[in-house]
Amino acid sequence: MGLFMQTLINGILIGGIFITIAVGFSISYGVMHIVDFAVGEWIMLGAFTAFWLNMYTNVDPLLLIPFIALFFALIGYLFQPVIQKVVNIKHRSAAMMALAFTFGLSTLIRGSALTLWGFNNRNLITVLSEKNVDLFGITVPAIRAGATVFSILVTAAFAYFLYRTKTGITIRAAAENKTVAGLMGIDGHRISRLVYSIYVGLTAMSGVFIGSIFSVFPDMGLRYTAFAFFVVVAGGMGSFSGAIVAGLMLGLISSFVSVYMGGAYVFLILFFILYLILVFFPKGILGKGW
Amino acid sequence: MFKKLPIRRAVVVLAISCLILSLTGCGGAKTGADAGNSASTEARDYYKVGVITSLSGAEVQGGNITKYGYDLWAETVNNKGGIKVGDKGYQVKLVYADDQSDPAAGANAVERMITSEKVDFILGPYTSGVTKAVAPILDKYKVPMITGSAESPSIWTQKFKYTFGSVPAADLTAISPLETLSKLPNPPKTVAVLGVNDAFSKAVAEAFKASAEKNGITVVKFDVVPAGTDFTPLISAIKQLNPDVLAVGGHENEHMEVIKASKSLGFMPKAFVMHYGITNPDFSKNLGKDADYTFGAAVWTPDLDLKDDLFGSAQDYVKAYKDKYNAIPDYTAAACSATGESFSAALAKIGAKPPLSDQQREELTKTLEQIEVNTFYGPIKFATDGNWYHDNVGLKALVIQMINGEQVIVGPEAMKAKDPVYPVPAFNVR
Repeated sequence: MGLFMQTLINGILIGGIFITIAVGFSISYGVMHIVDFAVGEWIMLGAFTAFWLNMYTNVDPLLLIPFIALFFALIGYLFQPVIQKVVNIKHRSAAMMALAFTFGLSTLIRGSALTLWGFNNRNLITVLSEKNVDLFGITVPAIRAGATVFSILVTAAFAYFLYRTKTGITIRAAAENKTVAGLMGIDGHRISRLVYSIYVGLTAMSGVFIGSIFSVFPDMGLRYTAFAFFVVVAGGMGSFSGAIVAGLMLGLISSFVSVYMGGAYVFLILFFILYLILVFFPKGILGKGW
Repeated sequence: MFKKLPIRRAVVVLAISCLILSLTGCGGAKTGADAGNSASTEARDYYKVGVITSLSGAEVQGGNITKYGYDLWAETVNNKGGIKVGDKGYQVKLVYADDQSDPAAGANAVERMITSEKVDFILGPYTSGVTKAVAPILDKYKVPMITGSAESPSIWTQKFKYTFGSVPAADLTAISPLETLSKLPNPPKTVAVLGVNDAFSKAVAEAFKASAEKNGITVVKFDVVPAGTDFTPLISAIKQLNPDVLAVGGHENEHMEVIKASKSLGFMPKAFVMHYGITNPDFSKNLGKDADYTFGAAVWTPDLDLKDDLFGSAQDYVKAYKDKYNAIPDYTAAACSATGESFSAALAKIGAKPPLSDQQREELTKTLEQIEVNTFYGPIKFATDGNWYHDNVGLKALVIQMINGEQVIVGPEAMKAKDPVYPVPAFNVR
């Protein structure tokens, strides 16, 4: 029973890290219809920014999170028109070109990071690092618990924004049907820009947690690109609640398969489930994607 | 509606195929040069030496350690007038190819290097996986290569004719830490073994398991997991089994993650046993005191009493390395530097001046099989038959333990500088 509970908690904690990334990624996909391959690189840049700022200012990386979120939101806001330009090219497969563009962007960012900062592994130490909380005999790593709680709060705030504010409603309208939303007077470009900016900010912010749970190095984002795809496809493209459910599912599957079947089967089972979802629930597990 | 679905599918298919491409590395176009016509015809009075290693991707850290080792050899040999053939010295020029830590990309890169750069011989990859992918290409073009790093035993059982290795295979070295621990007055009774699914790490995990079973230690868990796995759930499960020792086959990144995850879950076995990677400077730098007392295996440490004409003593080598890279070399760096010495000795013996013809490369390969070179890293003599064909099997497997961020030899009995600390102090009382 102890092991079962521990595995359950671990699963939720692993999934918790993905939720924020998945939600941003999914909404940005829903609105812009662009799969951003650079998702892992935003995570990496967020983690590196926290590392450098922490080194020079000695402020705890967790306290730097609001600044990093704003800073990267600004970068996203300034950068989005470049991607938009690629999408708007009069070409039969503009979406594909945008995809190739973000793929190139991801390689470029990773390569530049490797050249600029070298291959060394860096440690991001926060006040929660390496501490743990004992909860009825279950050991909970403090930094992971912190990441999950933070992730839930941010996601809740984001949900409030999407469902209760006027801008949020226009975003959802644009995600649902850009053409009709456009006919209703919603400025698609402005919305895309806003959404991309929020997505980059959220993702870079998650990088701070990921960097302190694992470590900071130029290739650190790669595995999250794969996971982001899993979450978005499993949750239904563009679906907000689907992304949350799929994020948690990803964590729980990883955790239970690792413990009860063996770590060797984690990816096999994960992607087999993804296959089943694509075959039987092509709109995502909640049926809310498109 | 009907318009949306195909686009969505196309995006998914494209996304997945790009993802696969990104994970396996983007293979470059093959240069369609014909085999056997790889020897250089340009006139030059220096040796063009290919270096294939991981300069990007997951194994970029280790890849750069091999690069440092090879670079230091080239620099030292050039400063001393080059490789002496007859009465003239010839300079060495290194040409690099990046395998992106990916076997397929490595095979492409080495083929390009041979056919378009027309290198005389090759200093080999960091990882075993890339070495295994590159070896058939070398056999095709008949270009000799020595790797100063790859350690998977499965490279040598395939008997590649042109591939050599200066580090003994992992199944010869990884057995030593658990063997040493089993001979203590209070030996460990149980061990959990984790391994990452790459050629080297898997071989290490298997050797840990075999040596545990041989020495009467019960293996309570054995799990070989894909690279990129989150270790937290695995370690939770291991914590429940409460083994005396956790043995891990992996590289520095995984070793760090295992220790971090163990600490954050409050899991403290009587010892962590690992292999290569714990002597990587980042391991101690990032983990601090948590890195201490970790056991590992090595075939060379900076305090050994060895010397040669090129680098001087092992301590001179360490100094030269430290001056250049501000780090203490581990056995991989040392083996890579010493690897160049094998080529120098063989070239001097056959009197082959640059550029090498196909026939001279053939002779060079034969000579590598015959000669024994004594270096600051130890003797290099490649096996010419058996399961470790072309591997330098003669070196002693040392057991090391990290103490205050430095590697200390704690076994085998005849070589040890200190007694092993076992059980090790818990994280919070160091």
